[in-house]
Amino acid sequence: MKELHNVNVAMRTLARELLESGTVAGVYGWKKGSRPTLTSPLYIQDAAKADRLAYDQYAVSNLSALLLDHRNNDKKRAIFVKGCDSRGVVRLLQDQQITPEQVLVIGLPCPGMVDEAGSLLTKCAECRFPNPVMADQVLGGVEVSKQPSAPTGVTAEAARKVGVGSRAGERMAQVAQLEGKTAAEKEAYWAEQHDKCIRCYACRNVCPACNCRDCIFDTEKKGWVSKAATSSANAFFAITRAMHVAGRCVDCGECERVCPMDIPIMTVNRKLQQDIEALFGPYDAGVDETVVPPLGRYQTDDPEEFL
Amino acid sequence: MSALSPKSGSPADCAVTEGHVGLPVLDPPPTAAPDTGKTKNGEWQPYIVGFACNWCTYAGADLAGLSRMQYPPNMRLVRVPCSGRVNPQFVLRAFQKGADAVLVAGCHPGDCHYGTGNYFTRRRFLLMQRLLTFMGVDPRRFQARWISGSEAPKFRDVVTELTEQVRPLGPNRLWREVEP
Amino acid sequence: MKRIGVFVCHCGSNIAHTVDCKQVADEAAAMPGVVHAQEYKYMCSEPGQVLIQEAVKEHNLDGYVVTACSPRMHETTFRKCAGRCGLNPYMVEQVNIREHCSWVHADKEAGTEKAIDLMRMGVAKVLKNEPLKAATIPMTKRALVIGAGIAGIQAALDIADNGFPVTLLDREHSIGGRMAQIDKTFPTLDCSACILTPKMVEVAQHPNVELMTYAEVESVGGFIGSFDVTIRKKARYVDTKRCTGCGACIQKCPSKVPSEFEMEMGPRKSIYVPFPQAVPNKPVIDAPHCRYLQTGKCGICKKICPTDAIRFDDQDEVVTERFGTIVVATGYQQFDISAYEEYGGGRIPDVITGMHLERLLNASGPTSGKIKRPSDGKEPKNIVFIKCVGSRDEAKNRPYCSKTCCMYVAKQATLLKEKLPASKSYIFYMDVRTGGKNYEEFYRRTQVDYDGHYIRGRVSKIFQVGDRLIVRGDDSLLGRPVEIEADLVVLAAGMDPQHDARELARTLGIAYDAHGWYTEAHPKLKPVETQTGGIFLAGACQGPKDIPDSVAQGSAAAVKASALLTKTELTGEPMIAQCNEAMCSGCGLCVTICPYKAITRQPKQERIHGKMRERMVSTINSGLCQGCGACTVACPSSAMNMGGFSDEQIMAEVDALCQR
Repeated sequence: MKELHNVNVAMRTLARELLESGTVAGVYGWKKGSRPTLTSPLYIQDAAKADRLAYDQYAVSNLSALLLDHRNNDKKRAIFVKGCDSRGVVRLLQDQQITPEQVLVIGLPCPGMVDEAGSLLTKCAECRFPNPVMADQVLGGVEVSKQPSAPTGVTAEAARKVGVGSRAGERMAQVAQLEGKTAAEKEAYWAEQHDKCIRCYACRNVCPACNCRDCIFDTEKKGWVSKAATSSANAFFAITRAMHVAGRCVDCGECERVCPMDIPIMTVNRKLQQDIEALFGPYDAGVDETVVPPLGRYQTDDPEEFL
Repeated sequence: MSALSPKSGSPADCAVTEGHVGLPVLDPPPTAAPDTGKTKNGEWQPYIVGFACNWCTYAGADLAGLSRMQYPPNMRLVRVPCSGRVNPQFVLRAFQKGADAVLVAGCHPGDCHYGTGNYFTRRRFLLMQRLLTFMGVDPRRFQARWISGSEAPKFRDVVTELTEQVRPLGPNRLWREVEP
Repeated sequence: MKRIGVFVCHCGSNIAHTVDCKQVADEAAAMPGVVHAQEYKYMCSEPGQVLIQEAVKEHNLDGYVVTACSPRMHETTFRKCAGRCGLNPYMVEQVNIREHCSWVHADKEAGTEKAIDLMRMGVAKVLKNEPLKAATIPMTKRALVIGAGIAGIQAALDIADNGFPVTLLDREHSIGGRMAQIDKTFPTLDCSACILTPKMVEVAQHPNVELMTYAEVESVGGFIGSFDVTIRKKARYVDTKRCTGCGACIQKCPSKVPSEFEMEMGPRKSIYVPFPQAVPNKPVIDAPHCRYLQTGKCGICKKICPTDAIRFDDQDEVVTERFGTIVVATGYQQFDISAYEEYGGGRIPDVITGMHLERLLNASGPTSGKIKRPSDGKEPKNIVFIKCVGSRDEAKNRPYCSKTCCMYVAKQATLLKEKLPASKSYIFYMDVRTGGKNYEEFYRRTQVDYDGHYIRGRVSKIFQVGDRLIVRGDDSLLGRPVEIEADLVVLAAGMDPQHDARELARTLGIAYDAHGWYTEAHPKLKPVETQTGGIFLAGACQGPKDIPDSVAQGSAAAVKASALLTKTELTGEPMIAQCNEAMCSGCGLCVTICPYKAITRQPKQERIHGKMRERMVSTINSGLCQGCGACTVACPSSAMNMGGFSDEQIMAEVDALCQR
C-alpha cells in the first residue's frame, strides 16, 4: 500500500533504533506472511531483524494480548498499534497486567483491514476508534484520540474511501436482529452456535480482556465446568466468558475473527455493550484507564427491576 | 455426589438397587438428564433453586415460617452471606444440573448488611438476565428480587408467583447436562 | 472421604408433625460419606448436644449436619457444641427444615421430600467444609478523635474517663466547634459558652487527653487496631511552650481581618485567638494576613512578646502516629445562602443567617450583645425569619431536614423579644418540627408568651425599599399573599456537610451519602459504626443533629471505641475471603469492589522462568474482611474464594439439590 510506504520505513528505522539503543528489549509488529494477503504477527529482539517488519491493510492481528508474555518482566517492549489494538493495551494497563514502564506504544494510522478478497472487514466498517486512544509515539501522522473519531494520518483518505467507520451506527444490527426473534428461535440459534464450539479457546487466547493468570476453564480443581465440548458445557463457557469480559471488552473483534468455527462471539459482546450503555450509561472499555469498568462500580439510582 | 445417585421418591424413573445405586431408565429424552422436578400424582412440579442472602431474604423466609405462612414447596434455598456472593456461574450451574428456575434474592439496595454488595448484584444480574433472555431463556426462569427480613409475605408471594410462572413453561432442558 | 454425621431434630412436634424425620435420617444414612444418622426430639437441648458429642467421638466424625431450625437461630449453638468435643466449629452445617419447611408446608409428603433435599444439600456442603480459624490482630490502645466540637469533646472525655489515651484533633486552633459560636441553647436557654467552656477545660486538662489543634489528617493507613495516621500540624508561628497567652501581641498587632468566628461582622487581628474562651488560649499568626510574613516589615508581636514566643520561621510539621480506633466528629458547616437569589443571594446586608444572629445576640459578640442590624447599626423592630433555607428544598439539592432550625428560630425569636420588647418576629415556615424533650413546649411559649408570629408559607422574594426590606410571601393557611416590611431578615440556613467531608471520608475509607454526610453501618442498629472496622461517627458529620443528640452520639461512639481498646487483640471473622496467590493475576478488580478496603495488592516474590521476580497479588486483611464475598464474584479466575461459603461448597449444594 503506497500510502504506508514511508510508515513501513519509519517503523523499521524506529524499531532498529529502539533495539540498538537498548530502549526496549523487544518489538511487537507484523511481517509479510506466505501470501501477499497475509500479514502476521512478528516479535523481534534483534535489531538486525527490524527490516522484516511490515504493516499494511492485512495486518489485522491485535498484538496487545501478547504483552502478557512479559507481564512479570521489568524490561520494556515496544508495540505497534492500530486504534483497536491500542484499546487492548489500555485494557492491560487498567487491569494492571503491565505497567506504563513496561511498554512503549507506537500508534499507526489504520487504512482499514481487508480480507483476502480485498473487501473491508465488518469490524472495520463498524469501527468507532480508528485512531489510537493512547500512544507514546505515532507514525504516519495519526492523531491520538480518546473520542470516537474519523481516521487520521497518511491513510485517512484511503480509510474513508473503503468505508472505515461507515457502518458504526449499525454495529448493533445483528444484536437487534436476534432480539427480534422468538425465544424458541433464539434458543435454537444459540444452541446451534454453542454446539459448534470445539473449546479451542482461541477466542480467549487472543483477547486482551482475558488476562487471568489461571483461566477457570483451564483449572480442573475447582470444577466449574467440564472440559468436554458438550452443549451444556459450551453454553456455560460462552456465557461465562461473556460475563467475564462484560464492560471490559474493548470491541476489537479478534475473538470472532480467530474462531475456527465461526461462532458470532462479538454479537454476544455487543449485546452486553448495548445493555451496559442502556442500563448504566455510556462507556467505552479500554479508552480511559482511570474509569472503573461498569461492573466494578455502581450508582445507588441504577435501574431497579428486582422489586 | 454421583450423578448416578437415585432420584429418591420417584421410583418410576429409576431402578433402585442395593446400595442406592440407581440407573435412570431410558425415559427422558436422550439429550438431557431426567427432569429434576418431581411428578406428584403424575403431575410435573417445577424445581426452583433460590440463593438467599443471610441477612435479609433468608431472615424473611424464616419469618414466613415463624408466621406459619403457607407456600408451594417447590423452592430450595441456598444460604449465602450476601447476594453479592452469588456468582453468575452458580446460576448457570443450577440450570445445568436441572433447575427449572433460579431466584437470586437479597436485601433491598441501600440496606445491604455489607453496605454495597447488592448494588453490584443488581448491575450483574440486570445484565445477566438480558443476556440469558437473548440466548432464548424465558425471563421467568431467572429472576432476582429484594426481600427484606421483615417481608415474609413478600417471600411467600415471590415463591408462589415464581412457581406458578414456571409451571406452564414445563421442565427446563436448555443447557441441562447430559448424564454419562 | 470425610466421616459425616447427620442429626435430625424433631423440635418437639414443630418439625416432626409435617416432616417424616425418620425418613430424613434413613435417607441420610444411605448417603455416601454419612457414617451416622440419628433423630432426636430436641437437638439444641443439653441431652441433644450430649448426644451429638458422643456420636462425634463414637463414630470419629469429621463434621456433621444438623437438620433443625434456622441457622440464624442455632448455628452458634451447634458450632460451639462441636468445639466442645474437639471438632472445628466450622465443620458443622445446619439446614433449616423448620422455618423453611415444616412450618410452611402442611403436606407431609412434600415437606419430607423437601427436608431430604435440604439435608442432602447440607451433607454435600459439609463434605467440602474446611476447618476455619479466626485470625487475631493486635490492638493499639490509643484513640484518635477527629473534630473537637461538642461531639468530639464528649467522645474524647468518655474514652479518657474509661482509662485510655486519646488524641483530640481539630483543624481550628481552638476546640469548641460550632457550639462555641452559639449564644444560648434551646430549650433551656443556657448560655452555650457557660456549659461548653467547662467541658473544653476539662478535656484539655484530662491526663489521658492530648490536644492536637491546628492540625489536619493527611492520610490514614492500616486498619482497625493499628491505624497509621499522618497528621499535618500547621505552622502557628507561636511557640506554644513559651507563650503564656498574655495577649499583648494581639493588642499591638496592626493588621485587622474580618473574624471568621464573628461571621465577619467584627474584626480580629492577624495574630489572634478566635474567641476569648478559646482552648488552648494561645494565639496563632494568620500567615496570609501577617504583614511581617508577607512583606518582611512589622514584627511588632515579636518585639513585644515578653517570653520570646514568636517564631516567624515556623514550618508545618508532619507526624505519623498509630491509633487503635478513630472517632470522626467533624461536624457540619452552615448552608451557603448565596444559592438563594430570591433572598438577595447574601448581598443584602440586613438579610443574615441564623449563625449571624447568634453572634449579634452574644454578649461577647461584635455588638456586645446589642441587636444592631449590619447595614446601619439600627435596632430592628420587625424581624422576619425564613425557615428551610437550604433544607427540604429539592431545587437546591437539599431534600433533607436540617432538624435544628425550627428550634433555633424559636429560640432566637424568644431571645429577640426579651432583648427588644417592642420588636415583633414573623416566622415563615413549611412545617414546625419540634420533636424532642421539652421542644414542643418551648415552641408553644415562643408563640404564646413571646409573640412569635408564625406564618405557614414560603417567601418568594425579598427586596430593599429605602432602608427597609420588603418580604413577599404566601400564607398558605389563609391562601393569600402576604407582604411584611422588615428591618432585619434572618434566614434559618440549614446544615451542610463540611465542604471537604468527602475528601476526609476517602482518606479514612468510610462511606458517605449523596450529600456528603457520613454513612453509618446500619441506619437503626449501628448508628455510630461505619462500614470500616474501628472507625466510629459522632455528631453532625453523620447528618444534621442538635447538641443533645451530638453529645449522646459522642458518648455512644466513645463506648464503641473503648470496647475495642479494652482488648489487647481482636479476633477476626473466620468466614472471610481467601486469595489463592498462585492463581491471582493482581488485576485488582476485587480491590475496588471490597466495601471494607480489606484487599490490597502486595508484591509477591516468585520464581518465574527461572528468575526471581516480583508480581502483585491480592492480599486480604483478615482484620478488615467481614466475609461478604463480593470479591469472589469480581474475580474472573476464581482466585478469590471464601471460607465457609466457598465456590466448591456452593457448587456442591447446587449439585446436591438438583441431582436427586
